[in-house]
Amino acid sequence: MIRKKPWFPIVYMFCLTAFFSTIVIGFTQATGERVEANEKLAFEKAVLAALPGLYEENLSRLQLHQRFTESVSPPDDSSGDAYTLQKNGQTVAYALPISGQGFWAPIKAVVGIKADKKTITGIAIYQQNETPGLGAEIAKTDFTEQFRDKVISIDGDPINIKRPGTVLGDSNVHAVTGATQTSTRLENIINKGLKEWLSKMSEK
Amino acid sequence: MKTGKSQKTDIISKGLWSNNPVFQQVLGICSTLAVTNLVLNTVVMCVALIFTLSLSSCTVSVLRQFTPRSIRMMVETLIIAFYVIIVDVVLKAYWPEMSSNLGPYVGLIITNCIVMGRCEAYGNANPPGKAFLDGFFNALGYTFILLIIATFREILGMGTFLGLSVPYFSGPHWDKWIIMVMPPGAFFMLAIVTWIFRSIQTSMEDKAK
Repeated sequence: MIRKKPWFPIVYMFCLTAFFSTIVIGFTQATGERVEANEKLAFEKAVLAALPGLYEENLSRLQLHQRFTESVSPPDDSSGDAYTLQKNGQTVAYALPISGQGFWAPIKAVVGIKADKKTITGIAIYQQNETPGLGAEIAKTDFTEQFRDKVISIDGDPINIKRPGTVLGDSNVHAVTGATQTSTRLENIINKGLKEWLSKMSEK
Repeated sequence: MKTGKSQKTDIISKGLWSNNPVFQQVLGICSTLAVTNLVLNTVVMCVALIFTLSLSSCTVSVLRQFTPRSIRMMVETLIIAFYVIIVDVVLKAYWPEMSSNLGPYVGLIITNCIVMGRCEAYGNANPPGKAFLDGFFNALGYTFILLIIATFREILGMGTFLGLSVPYFSGPHWDKWIIMVMPPGAFFMLAIVTWIFRSIQTSMEDKAK
């Protein structure tokens, strides 16, 4: 009988794996385009949210995409790889994509900076996998709203994330309670991104 | 020998009550603690578990006469992973916000002890129809406990239910118990729920005697 043969388990496992993998691969392929579009849209939404006066809560997916293509200019050499918001040929604000390692998984975000390169217009986090209810709070507006109109500090770190309850200066925001690791890592990501961008811009 | 109908009621009452996976067998605790801080997250997680558990138990049962005993665990894991990936991909494609809310927990259904436990204990030894039913009602047993925990955690901790504000709890007279939406709150709620349900069970058994 075939089931008694010593090689039967191997062949059986192989066939079963091949069968299920084929279905999963087919399925992933079929939805791949949509997943990719979602990721792109999440980024575009973050850029709009970081820049001043572009984002509204109730925009549909299509409206978001349209607004992005209409108002935001793609990065070029003079903007140091940041997306820009132009009005009458003048740059009003920059949207700088930043990324780095979070506590569990990479964090990706967009920082909006005014044309003076000193004031932050907003920050939006579009990819993170931090602990739900704790670290994941960094993506919520309660946390990100704190960054609006903060000033990039010239000496020391551009932005400091401080313990909840402490007094805040012009360049400080409060961390998320119970998520020290995520907050520190996010602080590093923001500061590294801002420093690199500022040095790029000062060379121009 | 039991008749078909009483067997079905038996499966249902075991899954939901007398052999409930959460408060009786204390399985699947990782996800019970992790996803119950918001009711909406819990609902999606439970739907995913109902889908995975009933179908994988059924599939294991279909293949049970061909699967060599020595590799049955591998085969079970493969089948479970297959259904979980399907759920994960569907969420990523059609509900990206929820997918990022649940983070790694959808993928972690693969290692949920309830799924493996039911496939191994029931799917492996019973016909597909019954295996499906058993999986479905065990998942429902998990679901109703999680919903109770999530409802209390969200209302006490955030003053909302399904994201809508609840009168009184969202008002100024209620000082939100932030600890309820943080991990310790999950432990407290799980312990309280287990305690209450087990006490009810024991008192019912005593009466039956």
